[in-house]
Amino acid sequence: MADDGFQVIAVAIDEDIDEVRVLADGITYPVLMDPDHLLTEMYAISNVPAVVWIDEQGRIARPNASEFGTDMFSEFTGRSCEGHFNQIRAWVHDGVVPDDAGSEIADLDDDEIAARLHFRLAAHLRRAGDEDGAARHFDAAAELAPLDFTVVRAAMPLRGESPFGEEFFKLLEEYQAAGSPFHGITPAP
Amino acid sequence: MSTITVLGDEVATTAGEWADGRPLVEPEGLSAAIGWTLKPEGLCRGDQCVLIGDGSAIRVGDKLDLIAVANAVDQPTVVDPDTSIVVLGQPNATRRAALLDRQAPDFTLADLDGVERSLSDYAGKKRLLVAFSSW
Repeated sequence: MADDGFQVIAVAIDEDIDEVRVLADGITYPVLMDPDHLLTEMYAISNVPAVVWIDEQGRIARPNASEFGTDMFSEFTGRSCEGHFNQIRAWVHDGVVPDDAGSEIADLDDDEIAARLHFRLAAHLRRAGDEDGAARHFDAAAELAPLDFTVVRAAMPLRGESPFGEEFFKLLEEYQAAGSPFHGITPAP
Repeated sequence: MSTITVLGDEVATTAGEWADGRPLVEPEGLSAAIGWTLKPEGLCRGDQCVLIGDGSAIRVGDKLDLIAVANAVDQPTVVDPDTSIVVLGQPNATRRAALLDRQAPDFTLADLDGVERSLSDYAGKKRLLVAFSSW
């Protein structure tokens, strides 16, 4: 769809460019690095993947939505990526947006904002070799936004934990028990 | 006087000191630290100025309190006196414009080759912004 005036821009909410290079292998659209989580603050993103549709004039045509690029998680989400791709085609070709495009996304509260800044500080201190300082601010971030994946799960690999291990499943359980609070659209199948 | 590091749009350092957990800087160092300049009409950046009354809310002696300055321009902060760092968040208005007015905030980030790219580089096209990660 590149010739139709359509552009994908991927942003990795990630510290390690080598990890991202593996994921981006073969991808032809721009992949940008966001180690300081600028995007999660500007767009109130609390988990990935999150997609935002932006029109020619820079207006948000459909806000943050949980959409995957593959069907690896379809059984879990009940949503196929083809459903999303079809909606994008209708938008690009005919300007049609899905019913959920008008959904309002809740703003971040003060704690969620502060958590993002603590995360940014922790990542900075970690890069400077101050592991204790980093741990202190990763902890502060997690305390302020304990169910935010961009805060808690993103810190796991930076703290020597596996983002697919025990800590992740504990987070997932707490997140689901709290009703899966996500700043964005969880699309219908 | 020691040095205060500000993590904002850039990483900046400025001469300053800490008093009761508040980062205090010289007025002359404000612009380099956070991008806002103190002028007679208020705190200004580009063609935008924020009124601050008599300025007493942001002044401590002959210095400026960075937390109070950030509050005045509605940017969040987190501070760490131990490492002498101030984290300056994005203007709250930017995020609210996205959520309430549907204005997509522009941003500039480096691609995998280190080339800086902005959302606005692709203005005039429909864009699918995809936030993803390895975790």
